[in-house]
Amino acid sequence: MSTYVYGITAASHPSLPEDMGGVGQPPRPVRILKEGELAAVVSDAPEDLRPKRRELLAHQSVLAEAGGGGCVLPMRFGSVAPDDDTISGVLAERAEHYLERLRTLDGKVEYNVKATHDEQAVLHRVMSESPELRALAEANREAGGGTYEQRLQLGEMVANAVKARESEDAVDVQHTLEPTAAAVSVGPESTGWLANVSFLVDRDSSENFLAAVEQLRKGHPHLDVRVNGPLPPYSFVEPGPAEPAGSTAGTDTAEE
Amino acid sequence: MTVVPAQQTGGGGGSSGLYDVLELVLDRGLVIDAFVRVSLVGIEILKIDVRVVVASVDTYLRFAEACNRLDLEAGPRKDPGLPDLVGEITESGARGKSKGALSGAAETISGAFKQAREEGQTESRSESRPRPRKSTASRRKEEEE
Repeated sequence: MSTYVYGITAASHPSLPEDMGGVGQPPRPVRILKEGELAAVVSDAPEDLRPKRRELLAHQSVLAEAGGGGCVLPMRFGSVAPDDDTISGVLAERAEHYLERLRTLDGKVEYNVKATHDEQAVLHRVMSESPELRALAEANREAGGGTYEQRLQLGEMVANAVKARESEDAVDVQHTLEPTAAAVSVGPESTGWLANVSFLVDRDSSENFLAAVEQLRKGHPHLDVRVNGPLPPYSFVEPGPAEPAGSTAGTDTAEE
Repeated sequence: MTVVPAQQTGGGGGSSGLYDVLELVLDRGLVIDAFVRVSLVGIEILKIDVRVVVASVDTYLRFAEACNRLDLEAGPRKDPGLPDLVGEITESGARGKSKGALSGAAETISGAFKQAREEGQTESRSESRPRPRKSTASRRKEEEE
């Protein structure tokens, strides 16, 4: 029977989610596998585990529950070991590394911030900033919308202005929130957002972080800023490639 | 919606908050090479809103149209003053609710606008008009991973 792994934590963790429902249908009960100073939060792995929404949520819920009581290193979704012994072996073999990570991330949580433009608001903004664009739009309007070429010209100029705004705003998002975070990890780019940045924040000072988010929103009313957290430190479990262990926690510490 | 107890999903809420978290669950976190990973083929949950500007003729034309309609006097967050939008505001879900009715109205418009744009893109796929499209590759990558 293969074993599904949710995360790795200290054996001394005070409140691990034993018997909670994990992945699978019916949900497989969560159990704790201890090895020395470490513990793995695991359950049996369903034969037909697929990346469905409810399985991802189960993974996240178990980690959220475990993370509420102490630091947990979250596994990426879908990690399956051939058996319990393999997990114990990994914990024993890399104990020092995981203990170091747990110490570094102790008391810290991840907040993920994604920002998009509110389209109406950003159009409004770029128009109000550019007399040239306004004049062009006005001319088109008076001409009953303008010719195909005129509309294309206006649209391209507006699109370029909005794109420039996206880049500026992405930098602003990071710079506004960075000072309140212990580490920053820039997430993958996508068409779904103009900024996707995770911040490692001291649990005790998360109010400062959230205040900075409010400040960001106030200063950028054309941005739709989505904040998710506190989360297990998904983006901060691995130290950066050239980073000596224990110096800072973070994968992609910002360098701007 | 509660993904995590006491979770912050400010600004977005609703299903977008859920997608935002699941992206992390899928893409980040510890990977241990002694373990295997479940195949992510057939991933069904990452439906990404396309809102970032795509360089295309369709985008240009639609931006131009939006600018022609844009009322610069009204301000970006003001009530567009269309009573028949009220019904749609309440239907626009958590996104509208969490931000108040006025910006909800703006989003309703923006949503309709977006939808129109996407439909336009779908239609034009069958045409032979050359059209630079930048974003699809990265988006597809996102979905496959």
